[in-house]
Amino acid sequence: MNARPARPQRTHRSGPRPPSLAGNLWTLAALLLLLVLSAGSALLRLGPFNEVANLGIAAVKALLVLTVFMRLKTDNALLRIVASTGFAWLAVLIALSLADVLTRQPLLAPW
Amino acid sequence: MSARTHPVPEQFDDPVQQREAATLGMWAFLATEVLFFGVLFAGYTLCRVMFPEAFAEGSRHTDMLLGTIETAVLLTSSCAVALSVREVQLGGRRAATAMLALTAALGIAFLVMHGFEYYAEYREGLIPAIRYTQQGVYARGMEIFYCLYYFITLFHSLHVTVGVLLLGVMAWRTWHRAFDQDYHTPLELTALYWHLVDIVWIFVYPLIYLVGRSG
Repeated sequence: MNARPARPQRTHRSGPRPPSLAGNLWTLAALLLLLVLSAGSALLRLGPFNEVANLGIAAVKALLVLTVFMRLKTDNALLRIVASTGFAWLAVLIALSLADVLTRQPLLAPW
Repeated sequence: MSARTHPVPEQFDDPVQQREAATLGMWAFLATEVLFFGVLFAGYTLCRVMFPEAFAEGSRHTDMLLGTIETAVLLTSSCAVALSVREVQLGGRRAATAMLALTAALGIAFLVMHGFEYYAEYREGLIPAIRYTQQGVYARGMEIFYCLYYFITLFHSLHVTVGVLLLGVMAWRTWHRAFDQDYHTPLELTALYWHLVDIVWIFVYPLIYLVGRSG
């Protein structure tokens, strides 16, 4: 008597729509442009900003691949959480390791 | 096996839930892959903090032009595999197979170029424990840089090799109508794996090839 109403049968077609061809090709163009920018900026004398530019551009490229090619922008929100978890733990790993190395002081033997 | 008769296993309500479970599992695996390579990157970061000049000197011995071309090849391959999934979703079996074959070919091109790099480094005596002939103040620090370089790039190349094999299988299955608009989860998961291999390389490129280039 309290039978659940049958859920409508969903198929792949009811999932996120495939991204447009132009969207994919523009993303590739942006990635290649960022690659040229990255190689070019590495040859300029920018001091510590060389590293900022190198890693900043790499992060933007990775975000483009994650959001457009891997469809995190349109897919299930749970996938975005799982994806960010991997990178968040990596940030913790690197931050804590650096905190150790950068603040370690040689201790003299107490005898 | 025809995709149209592909049954939904009984633990799933419908194909969408099946796909969600599969992609969630794949992303959990990819998170472990991020941490697998992350350990190598963390090791790289610590050693670079300790030997900054030696790492810059080591990086200047790598082939920046070839590294840039390899990056462009992998970025293009990522776009190609994304387009192959799109084509399958739109019902274009022939174009999808062609895109998968192109992706696999670009992956093989990447491996060949890397092979040339390794050979050049062997001739230059830059392979620690096998043929390392560098002298000078930075020789020991550069040895650490090249140890990390080989660990990171060899593990990455191993992933590329696995990816190429998977892409070959997916191209074969796509051509033989295993996937269509209603069922293409294995293809989607293979594409996710390939994109992650690409993301790893996106970070390898500046950390290995671009250090100390302006000096």
